[in-house]
Amino acid sequence: MNAHAHPVPEQFDDPVQQREAATLGMWAFLATEILFFGVLFAGYTYCRVLFPQAFAAASRHTDMLLGTIETAVLLTSSCAVALSVREVQLGGRRMAVALLGLAALLGTSFLVMHGFEYYAEYGEGLIPGIHYTQQGIYARGIEVFYCLYYFITGFHSIHVAVGVALMLAMAWRTWHRAFDPDYHTPLELTALYWHLVDIVWIFVYPVIYLVGRAG
Amino acid sequence: MNRSADRPVRTHRSGPRPPSLAGNLWTLLALLALLALSAGSAMLKLGPFNTVANLGIAMAKALLVLTIFMRLKTDNALLRIVAGVGFAWLAVMIALSLADVLTRAPLLAPW
Repeated sequence: MNAHAHPVPEQFDDPVQQREAATLGMWAFLATEILFFGVLFAGYTYCRVLFPQAFAAASRHTDMLLGTIETAVLLTSSCAVALSVREVQLGGRRMAVALLGLAALLGTSFLVMHGFEYYAEYGEGLIPGIHYTQQGIYARGIEVFYCLYYFITGFHSIHVAVGVALMLAMAWRTWHRAFDPDYHTPLELTALYWHLVDIVWIFVYPVIYLVGRAG
Repeated sequence: MNRSADRPVRTHRSGPRPPSLAGNLWTLLALLALLALSAGSAMLKLGPFNTVANLGIAMAKALLVLTIFMRLKTDNALLRIVAGVGFAWLAVMIALSLADVLTRAPLLAPW
């Protein structure tokens, strides 16, 4: 039925090869994303070895409750996207659009919560270079922590914003019957991207919010 | 080369078979349970094992997302290699950076 709806480009033997090429390309891109965030994590590791006490003190300034809720929100949205791909593979449409909408909504709520966090940190004087009022022996290390914090969470939030836009686009295309069980590669690739954004946050959560909480 | 007569066109529905609904929901439940465990363990005084526990739990969560949500378990083996290589490069980068930082002795100026 879909030989006409989804013609296979000339360079591919068949739809299976086309999909394999697309997913392989996406995974190569995701590997570069891993390294992109990896540099920030490597920088974090280096600085935490240099300033262990200051990093624990700085982490206690972050909002652990909000961070935990944000993590749960992203994990749930990841599941919603995985289910929407499944739904399309099984021939569904309305539920898939609803799940993509839910994931976009959860992504947006993540960004709003992060906005509140940044606002609270501005009030506490924790933004290096803009409004930084910390004093004491750990002030320098806390400043380094918050520099890394804004780079890591800032870049992550940009990725979340891009993901939300992509999911709204995919919801639009799914609603207009662009995808069916025979062809849904763009949706699959968007889902892979969103899951990677989730994985990055899975590692951000312990290194930013959970350091030095026990004492 | 395209659509050569001697090569049958594969017509299976593209992509690996979707995981079951229950499988996805159990995965989400496991992820949320691990999140709770992570937050709870961070409040216990375990010394350096706080970091070990937190990173261990994060890796378990990442593996769940990679294998179930991203379907590396059922998809093409080549994708597992590419994903593994991405994380392996990162491990090499962090390990070598740390090897430098942790073994560097401060040198006094020779004058």
